Amino acid sequence: MTTVRLRGGRVFDPVHGVDGERRDLVFRDGRFIAPSPDLRFDEDLDASGCIVMAGGIDMHSHIGGGKVNLARMLLPEDHRIHRTPQQWLETTAAHAGPALDLASCGHCAPGTLATGYRYVEMGYTAAFEPAMVFSNARQAHLEMGDIPILDHGAYVMLGNEDLLLHWLAEDAPPERIRDYVGWAINASKALGVKVVNPGGISAFKFNQRSLDVDERHSHYGVTPRRVLHALARAVHELGVPHPLHIHASNLGVAGNIASTLATIEALEGLPGHLTHVQFHSYGSEGTRKFSSAAQQLAEAVNRHPNVSIDVGQILFGQTVTASGDTMRQHANSGLGTPRKWIEADIECDAGCGVVPFRYREQSYVNALQWSIGLEIFLRVDDPWRVVLTTDHPNGAPFTSYPHLIKLLMNKGFRDEQLARLHPEVAAQSPLREIRRELSLYEVAVMTRAGPARLLGLKDRGHLGVGAAADITVYREGGDLEAMFTTPRWVFKDGTRVASEGRLVATPVGGVHHVAPDYDRTVERHIGDFVRRHGSVHPGHLAIGTDELCVCANGGRLLACALHAPGQAS
Amino acid sequence: MSAHPTQASPAVSPGPLPWTCPFCALHCDGFEPQAQGGRFSLQGTDCARAQAGLSHFAVEVSAAVPALIDGAPASLEAALQAAAAVLAQARLPLFGGLVTDIAGSRALYTLANASGAILDHVHGEAQMHGLRALQDRGLLTTTVAEVREHADLMVCLGTQPGERYPEFFHRCGFGREAPGRVRNLVFLGALPPAEGLAPGVQVSHVRLEGDVFDTLALLNALAAGRRLREPAPAVLQGLAQRLQEARYAVLVWDMVQAPAHSTLVVQGLHRLVDTLNRGTRAAALLLGGNDGAQSVNQTLTWLSGLPLRTGVLARGLTHEPVLFAADRLLRQQAVDALLWVASFGPEPAPPPTPLPGVVLGHPALAAQASRPGCVFIPVSTPGLGSAGHLSRFDSVVVLPLRPLRADGLPTVAEVASRLADLVAAAKKGQI
Repeated sequence: MTTVRLRGGRVFDPVHGVDGERRDLVFRDGRFIAPSPDLRFDEDLDASGCIVMAGGIDMHSHIGGGKVNLARMLLPEDHRIHRTPQQWLETTAAHAGPALDLASCGHCAPGTLATGYRYVEMGYTAAFEPAMVFSNARQAHLEMGDIPILDHGAYVMLGNEDLLLHWLAEDAPPERIRDYVGWAINASKALGVKVVNPGGISAFKFNQRSLDVDERHSHYGVTPRRVLHALARAVHELGVPHPLHIHASNLGVAGNIASTLATIEALEGLPGHLTHVQFHSYGSEGTRKFSSAAQQLAEAVNRHPNVSIDVGQILFGQTVTASGDTMRQHANSGLGTPRKWIEADIECDAGCGVVPFRYREQSYVNALQWSIGLEIFLRVDDPWRVVLTTDHPNGAPFTSYPHLIKLLMNKGFRDEQLARLHPEVAAQSPLREIRRELSLYEVAVMTRAGPARLLGLKDRGHLGVGAAADITVYREGGDLEAMFTTPRWVFKDGTRVASEGRLVATPVGGVHHVAPDYDRTVERHIGDFVRRHGSVHPGHLAIGTDELCVCANGGRLLACALHAPGQAS
Repeated sequence: MSAHPTQASPAVSPGPLPWTCPFCALHCDGFEPQAQGGRFSLQGTDCARAQAGLSHFAVEVSAAVPALIDGAPASLEAALQAAAAVLAQARLPLFGGLVTDIAGSRALYTLANASGAILDHVHGEAQMHGLRALQDRGLLTTTVAEVREHADLMVCLGTQPGERYPEFFHRCGFGREAPGRVRNLVFLGALPPAEGLAPGVQVSHVRLEGDVFDTLALLNALAAGRRLREPAPAVLQGLAQRLQEARYAVLVWDMVQAPAHSTLVVQGLHRLVDTLNRGTRAAALLLGGNDGAQSVNQTLTWLSGLPLRTGVLARGLTHEPVLFAADRLLRQQAVDALLWVASFGPEPAPPPTPLPGVVLGHPALAAQASRPGCVFIPVSTPGLGSAGHLSRFDSVVVLPLRPLRADGLPTVAEVASRLADLVAAAKKGQI
């Protein structure tokens, strides 16, 4: 039983309204305990001159599962260019021993080992895979189990599977849909549900090339609006804390703000989380018929308290886009750099598309995308409903978060970057007039407290007594980007895992999942359907608890408490 | 639903898991082995491949097969020590065979880090052709359930998949229990099977025009509407038209048909699929990945970021899809030790080599691993003697494996994990 005191740091803990006050934190056996005068400390760490926050939480990052692995396979060059042999030797030698840091590489599509190492070195202690394909769930959990240190979890993708569309087409009762969604979450050991281009991935299999919110699927006759509402309602009624995670229709299409706003309306007040909204906030004005609709999006979010977002900021350079949205990825496949792409239709269930992409400062479209993302961050009033993401790796690799944080916290730096971009964007971007600079408190909301609350993780994302001791200690002063890149210390469940950007321990992370109750009679209907139309035995659909432990490499199973049914998140 | 209790997670699928067949990458899970006369036989299928695989396993496991050091029986502990010594002393070991499951792959990667090894699978050559095409251009693929439900035309290029994958057509909905709608099946440069296809399937046979490369080039030109120096044969023109008129066409290629440069075939398929998708829907389906090749390749890729034929070398992770072919490395004596893994049966046997060796294999491999300088450790077979996971050939579905009975042997994962610790300790001692 080791008791540790972290003394004299400036603490940012928005869950408890702590805004930079000097506080001592005490933890024992991985949890915070109340400081008291008679405690003896095994370790007494001086954090004066430091900023202390909970460990970072990335609620939308493509870290594991089939399409991420395809991205790795597609881009051997990504794994050759970013670490020279000399760098590799230096970093390997710098670490504590050969067993600590297994070889793993990649910049925009890193191996799972490198994913864990780089996140932790940067002060993040949890990341969530947002697009777990049901039929690929075992692989997703196996991959995430091989991400060291980080806690992880995933949202199962629903809304394009033949079974659900078939039931919606025959007007199955909402209770049936709710029980099915409850079953799917349990069977795939998910933490939430994501819908990607509602109905559109399936429609593409029937050769539809676009599907607007009120357009009908050519085979099932169902609209995206219907799919969205049915899923949002089911998730809500099951008491799953994380609202339906929504990748809206028409990703990347000029003028898609209309379908994004229609998507918000389709929720009819039900909770919904719109993901990577930057890619869904485009107008079609101006000579290039491509304009910012960030203000409209931000106003809609401000007006709809049932809606939360993450941004999916783009940053310049080489990356790879990996999405379940085959319809849109196929449309963009000719725009990739380098010019190659992978796509798959998957198991009457889902799809995936992988297109490498290089965002260029001198591209009008890319520069505008950059500006739109930042505008959204700065225009939405409530930081608790905006999460900092780049939709790793789609907008940029997660390793660019420190750069993004600096852009949001420093108007002068932002203006300097803006001046380097395509001249029309540099001259006209509304970003020039936005003076807001995020505070450390707001950054702590957007990178820790907010995502933890949106996911229903009650003992994460804050520093209160009883919470898990996931802590990041940054050295205050100097360059913000450098500060957020290399924390002084990172603790995971009370164990120091990184010091000065170097790994010092690699414990196994846990799996966050949720287990809503549902009427089991639905399993008979699912089994019947799968026996007729599926490719695996119905008995193999569900991942058992013991099996999840194996997939997760023995990591702890962290069952998330349910809300009372229908309670807002 | 009557209530929302918030306690324990409900059990989703009570009862024992179905059995998954490990013996080809289709990983069928609809058949249950029955014990008959001391051996296992499958009910509901006459799959020769599965029966042959099962024939190497007795229902009752007889006396334990000992480990061997230089051909002499040894305890597991002594064999582990001797194997670790082989790997610790090697400057550049090769991990070959790699017939194992995902857990085995995970542990072997840790061992490769401890030993500084190069990894290649026994089917590395066939895998490599598909992989290089993927790395170069990409691919649009589909999966079994998708083919079953949505495909109205399947073209098998130079292959009759049922020969190597007896359950293939059944699984894809062209065999027994086929959906009752019109489906076309074309064998291009291969003969249709004599039996086993559903009555509603319209089968045709089209001859290659030249070789498979020429034929694919012609189809590509026809599909893209390019002008040809002389008109293509009517039958190929007809096939191009059928591909364009199909709602969802699937092009099947077996990666084991690996003529030199078969990467070009996969590239040609990608081009054809790309062209067809401008007007209709089409996708490729690549067969291969048997004996754990698919699983090992997937696992290595997610762990390290790089696929098979990668070395964990002193200068960093190095991926060489051509140079790191196992047979080439052995022939050129570029490596100085061989760890051979073959846990699914008595094949593949380790290649003849004078190098110091470690074999983690099915007990029947003992005879081929009893030479001087070789350590043999018998290991359990996933799906027969132990649980595990394997990735299906279409690279989406990972299936759990249920053991049929205990075999008293350690798994590849257990042995490799022990070896990783021993090798790391030995190397620390050397420093």
